[in-house]
Amino acid sequence: MSTISLHDTHHDDHGHGHHHETFLTKYVFSQDHKMIAKQFLITGIIMAVIAMLLSILFRIQLAWPDKTFPLLETFLGKWAEGGRIKPDFFLALVTIHGTIMVFFVLTAGLSGTFSNLLIPLQIGARDMASPFMNMLSYWFFLVACIIMMSSFFVQTGPASGGWTIYPPLSAVPKAMPGSGLGMTLWLVSMVIFVASSLIGSLNYVSTILNMRTKGMDLWKMPLTIWALFLTAILGILSFPVLVSGVVLLIFDRSFGTSFYLSDIVFGTEILPNEGGSPILWQHLFWFLGHPEVYIVIMPALGISSEIISVNSRKPIFGYHAMVYSLIGITVLSFIVWGHHMFVTGMNPLLGGVFMITTLIIAVPSAVKTFNYLATLWRGNIRFTPAMLFAIGLVSFFISGGLTGIFLGNASLDINLHDTYFVVAHFHLVMGSAAIFGMLAGVYHWFPKMFGRMMNPKLAYLHFWLTFICAYLVFFPLHFLGLDGVPRRYYAFTEFEFMNKWLTVNVFVTWSAIIAALAQVAFLFNFFYSIFRGKKATQNPWEANTLEWTTPVEHLHGNWPGEIPAVYRWPYDYSKPGADQDFILQTTPFSETMSSNLPHDFEGNEEAERIQKEWEAANKPVQE
Amino acid sequence: MVSTIQQENISLNFKPKKFLVWLFVVSSTIMFGGWTSYYLVFMASKGKGHGLVLPEVFTYSTGVLLISSISLFLAARALKTGSRNKQRMFLWVTFILGIAFGVMQFQGWTSLYQTGAVLVNNNAAISMIYVVSGVHLLHIVAGLAFVLSSLIGSYKNVSQEVAEYRQDITSIFWHFIDILWIYLYVFLLLNS
Repeated sequence: MSTISLHDTHHDDHGHGHHHETFLTKYVFSQDHKMIAKQFLITGIIMAVIAMLLSILFRIQLAWPDKTFPLLETFLGKWAEGGRIKPDFFLALVTIHGTIMVFFVLTAGLSGTFSNLLIPLQIGARDMASPFMNMLSYWFFLVACIIMMSSFFVQTGPASGGWTIYPPLSAVPKAMPGSGLGMTLWLVSMVIFVASSLIGSLNYVSTILNMRTKGMDLWKMPLTIWALFLTAILGILSFPVLVSGVVLLIFDRSFGTSFYLSDIVFGTEILPNEGGSPILWQHLFWFLGHPEVYIVIMPALGISSEIISVNSRKPIFGYHAMVYSLIGITVLSFIVWGHHMFVTGMNPLLGGVFMITTLIIAVPSAVKTFNYLATLWRGNIRFTPAMLFAIGLVSFFISGGLTGIFLGNASLDINLHDTYFVVAHFHLVMGSAAIFGMLAGVYHWFPKMFGRMMNPKLAYLHFWLTFICAYLVFFPLHFLGLDGVPRRYYAFTEFEFMNKWLTVNVFVTWSAIIAALAQVAFLFNFFYSIFRGKKATQNPWEANTLEWTTPVEHLHGNWPGEIPAVYRWPYDYSKPGADQDFILQTTPFSETMSSNLPHDFEGNEEAERIQKEWEAANKPVQE
Repeated sequence: MVSTIQQENISLNFKPKKFLVWLFVVSSTIMFGGWTSYYLVFMASKGKGHGLVLPEVFTYSTGVLLISSISLFLAARALKTGSRNKQRMFLWVTFILGIAFGVMQFQGWTSLYQTGAVLVNNNAAISMIYVVSGVHLLHIVAGLAFVLSSLIGSYKNVSQEVAEYRQDITSIFWHFIDILWIYLYVFLLLNS
């Protein structure tokens, strides 16, 4: 019987026209979700390395503002004439660093990789709702990356108005060198990126809602899927608003309308634009921008929920609370955008409203944090590299989250706005935390992606160096911010009161350089292990979720026979009475009679009766 | 056995794809929501809207679009009852009405232009009329592509299942852009 069904599905797989796979259809224009996940991941890693190098460049300027580095001129030419980075290029560096990290690495690289890899594998589907659109999503992403990077090769340099591209710097092409062609390329790249992201998100949501395997009801989904699902919903609801904002910006730049512009004077020349308001851009931008930071962090939170539970050998603490707090974060994220705009002259009453909604987000965030800690509590912890990174995420999420309570407060924010305090805050809570979540995911699912294991020793080296250095980089920045040092300043030493922070900046830059070198351990480990790593077993971490029931060798359609049915939630670890400390989601309750609990049957009286009969017949001998 | 599984899979594949269109409808609504919110905030802060009497042709184009929706509904019904010829005819009616709508929008813009309410304007509310109606027209173009795909399917005599799938996504999308235009038009009428 089993051979018959195997034959059927086999035939069916090939019915979709994947019979003759060539190099092009397998590796380049692939429509297989697993290959697309790898494409997203590797592109994301390359972009992350670029963004990291950019950050080292501007950190060098901040640490040694008066020194010359002839080497820089060799590489950067006129942007570092005489071996010192020019002010315009400095601004371009911070702008593009932010853009790449937020959009290309932590949105596409993170969601793109793990949604593509995990959604079909963990819900039990053969592929995405539309594999073609999935492929399109990746290629749009790649084109967006290339266009963004190409702005380094235009004479006036890349966009330099900050990753939030506030008008008028972004709306008036002659405002500064970066406002010209560089800004145009930024906008083109971002429109393509949003298209990619939307296509991806639509696909993820449709797949999760429509293509779950038998038995996989919503409350049996792993938390990774919940997080990726809600992330995709956030994307669908918020990215379109960025499009509407960007379209108006393009009209202002290229056609001369006045959506965001008014009363602009260049020297003696008065620009004709009148009646617009740059504040309106901020509203539209931050209506996307704030949900965007949750788009960045939520997949990382989902990934660490899964990894922490697997490696604590314990069910995740408060599964339902985890889901409801993700939903809470999703809903709240749409009504807090005003906290980015406390200093725009906002009505104080409105500021108060945004302050309250912002501080309420601390509640679901804290629920999640405490649940992570409670899951770890008295667990049978296995400190795999993935586990370390997941715990690192929790650490950063706490340290960065605490300063969020300061910044969410309107009266404090007026002092701290646009200082290094803000930089320190978001680099911990969404930067480092999300990156650690992503790295945890890479270490955990590497065997699933490439069929091989990464080297754990190099991974531990990578973790400890990165973890310590990330704190050494971002913790001191809080104090700069409290003292009023503004972000994005090229020559802060020109102000006497900031001079004393120069030594701290030298320390921070050295820490950043060591952190960057630590990534070499990861990069080597990653690419070496793809080809030479130890061969992976089918379920190396002894996890319960469906992806570990697929064969190590990838095949189109994921499962050779029928898609397995699901009988239980994904967190049955160390269940009292069970033979092993993990029970796969595909194991029916009839095979685990010794460990079943009354609530497992969700009120199914027939099943409860059978269980009671079994227990009566197999009563343990009293001693 | 093999064929039943394949058929099962086809209908299984249609459902999520249809759902994709719904999701697109949601995100597109939000994009227009962004513009109309801009408009409301702009109006509240500047104390003025576009301040125009909108060209009469917009009323007629709204009517044309409404009729096109009705004819598309009739096409879907014809397909359900199995008369492909009737479906084809109503699809063509929809298609032609869609084009007529586009032409009338251009006429609307021309008459706006002639009264001096041009795109490049110091009143951003007037520029907004062009932006929303322009992007809406892009949606109409996409909708026409859907209608065409249904038509092509009808001429190629695809299976009833595939034909209904194409007709369904065409209907979802076309009725959406119909309602969207009514929303935009009423919005612009009310907030002058």
